[in-house]
Amino acid sequence: MIVPEHWLREFVAFRLPVAQLAHRLTMAGLEVESCAQVAPPLARVVVGEIVATERHPNAERLSVCTVDAGRRRLRVVCGAPNARPGVKAPLALAGATLGETEVRATEVRGVQSEGMLLSARELGVGEDHAGLLELPADARPGTAIGEALALDEHLLAFKLTPNRGDCLSILGIAREVAALTGAKLRAPRIRPVPPAGRAKHPFAIANAEGCGRFTGRVIRNVNAAAPTPEWMRRRLERAGLRSISALVDVTNYVMLELGRPLHVYDLAKLRGTVEVRWGRRGERLVLLNGAEVEVDETVLCIADDSGPIGLAGIMGGDSTKAETTTRDIFLESAFFFPEAIAGRARRYGLASDAAHRFERGVDFANSVAGIERATRLVLEICGGEPGPTVDLVKRLPARRPVRMRIARARKVIGMPIAEREMARAFRRLGLVARRRGDAFVVTPPSWRFDLAIEEDLIEEVARLHGFENIPLHPPRAAATMSEAPEGRRTLHAVRERLAARDYQEVINFAFVEPDWERDFAGEDNPIRLLNPIASQASVLRTTLFGSLIANVRYNHARKLARVRVFEIGRVFLRDASAPDGPLAVAGLRQPVRVAAAAFGPALEEQWASATRPVDFFDVKGDLEALYAPRVPRFEAAPHPALHPGRSARVLAEGSAVGWIGELHPRWQMKYELPQPVVLFEVDAESLLDAPLPRPEHPSRFPPIVRDLAVVVDQAVAAQALLDAAMEVRAPIVRELRLFDVYQGPNLPPGKKSLAFRIVMQHTDRSLTDAEADAAQQALLQQWERRLGARLRA
Amino acid sequence: MQDLQAIVERALADLAAAPDAAALENAKARYLGRSGELTALLKRLGTLPAAERRAAGEALNAAKARLEEALARRRAELAESKMQAQLAAEALDVTLPGRGASRGGIHPVIRTWQRVEAIFRSIGFDVADGPEVETDWYNFTALNNPENHPARSMQDTFYVDLKDAQGLALLLRTHTSPMQVRYARLWVERHRGAKRMPPIKVIAPGRTYRVDSDATHSPMFHQVEGLWIDEDVSFADLKAVYTDFVRRFFETDAIEVRFRPSYFPFTEPSAEIDLQFAAGPLKGRWLEVSGAGQVHPQVVRNFGLDPERWIGFAFGSGLERLTMLRYGIDDLRLFFDGDLRFLRQFA
Repeated sequence: MIVPEHWLREFVAFRLPVAQLAHRLTMAGLEVESCAQVAPPLARVVVGEIVATERHPNAERLSVCTVDAGRRRLRVVCGAPNARPGVKAPLALAGATLGETEVRATEVRGVQSEGMLLSARELGVGEDHAGLLELPADARPGTAIGEALALDEHLLAFKLTPNRGDCLSILGIAREVAALTGAKLRAPRIRPVPPAGRAKHPFAIANAEGCGRFTGRVIRNVNAAAPTPEWMRRRLERAGLRSISALVDVTNYVMLELGRPLHVYDLAKLRGTVEVRWGRRGERLVLLNGAEVEVDETVLCIADDSGPIGLAGIMGGDSTKAETTTRDIFLESAFFFPEAIAGRARRYGLASDAAHRFERGVDFANSVAGIERATRLVLEICGGEPGPTVDLVKRLPARRPVRMRIARARKVIGMPIAEREMARAFRRLGLVARRRGDAFVVTPPSWRFDLAIEEDLIEEVARLHGFENIPLHPPRAAATMSEAPEGRRTLHAVRERLAARDYQEVINFAFVEPDWERDFAGEDNPIRLLNPIASQASVLRTTLFGSLIANVRYNHARKLARVRVFEIGRVFLRDASAPDGPLAVAGLRQPVRVAAAAFGPALEEQWASATRPVDFFDVKGDLEALYAPRVPRFEAAPHPALHPGRSARVLAEGSAVGWIGELHPRWQMKYELPQPVVLFEVDAESLLDAPLPRPEHPSRFPPIVRDLAVVVDQAVAAQALLDAAMEVRAPIVRELRLFDVYQGPNLPPGKKSLAFRIVMQHTDRSLTDAEADAAQQALLQQWERRLGARLRA
Repeated sequence: MQDLQAIVERALADLAAAPDAAALENAKARYLGRSGELTALLKRLGTLPAAERRAAGEALNAAKARLEEALARRRAELAESKMQAQLAAEALDVTLPGRGASRGGIHPVIRTWQRVEAIFRSIGFDVADGPEVETDWYNFTALNNPENHPARSMQDTFYVDLKDAQGLALLLRTHTSPMQVRYARLWVERHRGAKRMPPIKVIAPGRTYRVDSDATHSPMFHQVEGLWIDEDVSFADLKAVYTDFVRRFFETDAIEVRFRPSYFPFTEPSAEIDLQFAAGPLKGRWLEVSGAGQVHPQVVRNFGLDPERWIGFAFGSGLERLTMLRYGIDDLRLFFDGDLRFLRQFA
């Protein structure tokens, strides 16, 4: 909401400089977003009055005006259509600066022009450039334009919080200013306008839970085409509203002034009794803005015999609107309960000043005042004969007294604010507060909708005291030590390990392109956003792969030859069987995943190592390092994103926890990547358990080391040999390490050779060669029996 | 005995002149070897008259000791110069870059997250994390923000095609505040039956979402929620804790922190927290960093606690905002582009 300074000053006589006032308001919770003058000061621009005009001798569309500039008369060449005698307009004298240009006395087609008459746009106060900006008749020639148009006044733009609907008016802001500064509030005295006739229009409230009060008045014989006076138009425009027509402008003016939305109907267009009631399914109406809407039982309507003629508290209908040809009008000033209005405008995609106010609460006591104020303004501008004001009150919001215990207020705020100060805060805010025992009892006024519980009053006390005057109080707390579970690693430790292995962390959006889900997860039915910002971000990801591939592409496109990225984030998996839990939502699972992608050379190109592309085993090594000291298992299995021969399921403690592999060549081609990307993605949870070390004494006896090479079918997985070995492993075998893999011409086709180093050692004596031989032999026999291995010659 | 003198001098000269170990051993053999000149003199010692034998013996032994010492010295010299030659031959260009892998890094927003965690852990806060797809109840209603309330339009919400048991659409949490309720309820449950429930002290950093996308808003961003509930935690405590946090986070006391009344459905009194640096490029400007306040009694009830007894504060701060202020970053989008040229600077 924008509040023009002069309008505000009419309501409250504050002495503070405006900038300081804006700061005080901000620090009291009414945030002033900007506080600036209407226009920058303009030197050498004054009020000029055209006293005579004649045709320019050399140009048909120009006239030569004699302009009274106060102390002297000037000759000014002007092309504006409204340059006629009697018109007062801004006059830029030689030496004035308008924007970038300086005005000079100059010759226009052979005639000397000593200044320049201005349009609103040229003056910099509006968009209108159709003609001269006509100034009010009472403007005195020669007066500085800043003074004549009040261009020096400040506009305060407020960013109000939704609890303070009462501040959506000049009066509301004035109340706050009075409360904060102690300045006197000059609330307008609104005197009733006596009726000049008996014209009335019937109206009724059918649903009092929606509409508690309805005040109506008929005014006959108005001149709806009368122009809105300059002063009113200026105030409306400065407050951010466009002038529309005298009748609409009056209702807007009263809304801004008192916070009281009104509606004006063309009486001739009403059909029978005007009634406030809930809508009926299937009823439709066309609104003032031309939109057609359908209502139902949850939408409060204004209706007559023809059906709904307006959305109560939101927007009037097109069929009954007042126009410039309207002769008789019916004014509505109603109280609608916030709950009956809230959310409806949003549902229809509407935003109206009325709805904005009714949703937050409108003063239910000023509906008659609003009508009287509007009547007076209509009579002043449009004339007419008012009928009697008819006020129908069905149900008003309860204003239950609220109790605020003094001790509680002090406890919540954390300082001993004096009772006297509390009482003064209430008084200044216009709240009636009585002392009852050790508490204040406050009855909220009709304009406040945010004072229902004790904390609401505590907040008012704190606010008026000033948050900046509440001391910093370092809290006292028991010095209890925090838990520090050693058996659990944090995700931050996982991050640190990944960074140490040369992966850079990225953060990607949780919503992705549906294509990514299809390609990289084989997921045709991911969770969809109902209101995505874009179709490329319309589904929740079930894998981090898609985002990481996008990261690789982004950086590759920027000529980075080597990209290694990781992300830790949640994925979102539909699961109808997933129950609600303290940290879970039924219907889906949202596990945190850790994923990485590597692309380009295995190492940054360097002088001391040959450059080679990153491969599966580089990344597998990284993943194994992430699990260490635990050892994950890998089994060949296909995944939609991955090369079927280079893809493995990752298992930790026997359960499947993720995937590792090379991007499928099909996707490599589709996503235009010149080299393979190696990826992994695992459940973060599987990385977090870190068993406590259980150290043993190192043996004091020498180890025996044997190398054993066996030949097996190429299809036999290395893991199968290790698993088979575990079954027969003698306790003296401390280590069994695969150190060489060979396939080639020295072996029969279809075979490979695997060489293992066996380290054997006894904990409390020296081993004999015979023992070592036996252990080695047992291994070999097991492999022969189980896997058809034979000793490599 | 002139002989001896001559031999010694010759021998010393030969030893000193030996250019390498082999020459040195040859020289040694010439004088001290089995048929060396000095050895020959020693062998002849027995043939001397007894009266001369003692003096001659002493002179010979002294000569032998001198030669042996000279030999040892020359050996050491030769070994040393051989070592020097080897070292010179093995010298490297030590300015060549080291071999091996470079290092990755942690995302700047996560770096802030980690620092926030460390600072709050230092005064005994726990750290919690929870779901990002939330129910209407946890995201709004439990936080005293009922359906249709105008405060709901403060945050534009992403909804998903799943519903909760009440038939309301699930949503992407618009703030980390649902974790206040989830954590507090868990805490209350855990300490049910205890003589006195220990205070709730927790921060909950995490991802949050709003329908908003421009230079200063990202549809996904990070917040950190803070909650401290005990029997006497006041607004003045909030002021102290948050002010302390800001100063520790930015590592300077030259920073003003102001609390300005505001409105959130789940706190009362509510405050916006602004800060202002006393130096640097942002000097003199008030910058919003957080929303905060005393937890609303209705929310405390939703924790499963009696607001008459349990009071305290909550706050929520934007991690991107803190990161931007900390490192002087002016464009939010840099955080989510995944541009390594930007991110690597935080390695």
